[in-house]
Amino acid sequence: MPPPSLISRSRALPPSLGEIPGVWRGHELAPVKARSTGYVALDALLPGGGWPIGALTELVPLIEGIGEVDVLRVTLKRLCDEKRHIVFVRPPYIPYAPALLRAGLPLPRVLWIDAAHDEDARWAAEQTLREGAAGAVLLWSHAVADRPLRRLQLAAEEGQSLAFIYRPAITLHNSSPAALRIVLRPAPGALGVEVLKARGGHRGAVLLPVHTSI
Amino acid sequence: MLWLCFFSPVQEKHALKALAGWAGQFSSFVFFDTERWLLWLEIGASLRYFGSLQLLLEKVAEGLNTLGLTAATGIAPTPEAAALLARQMQMTPVLQLNHLRQAIASLPLSALAMLPAVIAGLQASGVTTVGELLALPRDALARRWGMQLTDYLQRLLGERPDPRKPYRVPQTYYRRFGFAEPVKTVEGLLFPLRRILYELQGYLRGRDAALQALNVTLRHHDHADTVLTLRTTDPQRDAVRLFALLREKLERTQLPGAVMEIGLSVAHFVAWRDTQLHLWDETERHDAAWSDLLDKLRARLGDQAVRRLGLRDDHRPEKAWCVENDTATADLPPAFPDRPLWLLPPRPIHRLPKLLGKPERIEAGWWTGEDSSRDYYIAQTEEGSRWWLYREAATSRWFLQGIWA
Repeated sequence: MPPPSLISRSRALPPSLGEIPGVWRGHELAPVKARSTGYVALDALLPGGGWPIGALTELVPLIEGIGEVDVLRVTLKRLCDEKRHIVFVRPPYIPYAPALLRAGLPLPRVLWIDAAHDEDARWAAEQTLREGAAGAVLLWSHAVADRPLRRLQLAAEEGQSLAFIYRPAITLHNSSPAALRIVLRPAPGALGVEVLKARGGHRGAVLLPVHTSI
Repeated sequence: MLWLCFFSPVQEKHALKALAGWAGQFSSFVFFDTERWLLWLEIGASLRYFGSLQLLLEKVAEGLNTLGLTAATGIAPTPEAAALLARQMQMTPVLQLNHLRQAIASLPLSALAMLPAVIAGLQASGVTTVGELLALPRDALARRWGMQLTDYLQRLLGERPDPRKPYRVPQTYYRRFGFAEPVKTVEGLLFPLRRILYELQGYLRGRDAALQALNVTLRHHDHADTVLTLRTTDPQRDAVRLFALLREKLERTQLPGAVMEIGLSVAHFVAWRDTQLHLWDETERHDAAWSDLLDKLRARLGDQAVRRLGLRDDHRPEKAWCVENDTATADLPPAFPDRPLWLLPPRPIHRLPKLLGKPERIEAGWWTGEDSSRDYYIAQTEEGSRWWLYREAATSRWFLQGIWA
């Protein structure tokens, strides 16, 4: 593709001029739209200050049972408060109703899609994202290939909701089209959140206190 | 009046025009000069709407950023002074006419919009800065260099009016963008398309309008045009959303050949305010989409796979929940103690992890003949997982039943 000549970057400003207020340097991407995670330290780490809206967030817990869903609790509760739905697609176990209620997620706001196959699960997540009907979609998938994830990323963009995909640690060997890629690891009394990739941001890590309510 | 001037953000006539259309969202008085590559916005009247100069400039900066533009700007009470500041990258705004003279005094003479011959002549007679020129008697300047020069200086300083004709945005939208090299892949089209959509968004905001259909025409060298029409259910003007929809469409389109030019046109607009009324409130709109979605999911995955959750009045954890149908569920407000997100069918465990805190005794079901007296513990594995375990009172055997995810 030829250089984009629609807008000619007509002036080569010396680097120091970039710091003068009022001189704006072009960037390719629009600012990241995001929703607060409810954790100040994590918001500070993420571009746009939270979970990206209309983009795929990939969460890779190194083992289960460390607060890998709890990290979303505040965000999910706020979405429910706004009368949006939360969709769990093919979670590894039964989402336990009493725990959901305790976390502030009213049961009528939660949908559990128990698809038989990974492919069906991805299809369901894609449909839900594309329609923008739910506030957030949480998908558990073992898909390794790039293409299924790219489709989800597209669907997330179209529906402008929150999209989370939980993937096994082995998939870390491959690159990912997700806008945000995060590794979750256990730490004493805490959850380690490490940003491996953030479109419009940079890598980094924080420790979050572990809650036991979800 | 207060003028914001961009210097040479784009050097292409129809691109500058498109930018003027985009700028309409910030000001109802926009004009441009394709000879000097300058674009002006009267922002004095917009300040109240945006709250402050700072907030307005932030919006403008954000908008330029999404267009991928870099532009020097100047802010001054007269169009020519704003242009002068922009060209010299003097970023400190001059807000009052009586500060103007001093603010521009030290700028070089060559920065002024005068003929090169005039500048050279003045320089030869020892005048090098704007301040020095302004100190000279005007009538002498007029005699030596003509009325054009003094007229310009008067407009620069606001000593005489400088009427300009505002750019009137066309009633239909048409924007084309030609490639220097033919583009063979859809990927190559996305980049300019996104920018055009951001321009369109600015144009729509300026007109307080939205659209429900747009056409994209791809011109090929030796094939008939490829024409894509995008229709939306609800009126739209969000660039990001339009881009996502168009991209999806483009990616499913087989290009017959390389693309020489993109054209984007919108023939009809709807008023944005009406749109907002028409959409009732956001919740209702989501609810409509939600029921459509459930239908679609059930059609492919089966009713059993698409589940709502409910509670049951049973103390045994594995029986305290159920799958509900759609119509169900007033939430009982039970005061549950801490419970794990994942419930597992009880699984015997042989190596006991570290137990945290005191047990919770759960006794229920004795009347059905099932002895289910259990002591529940929260446990932490060596790897750092939190488990929900119980010891069956009758057998002293341990089971894993939940995981705090």
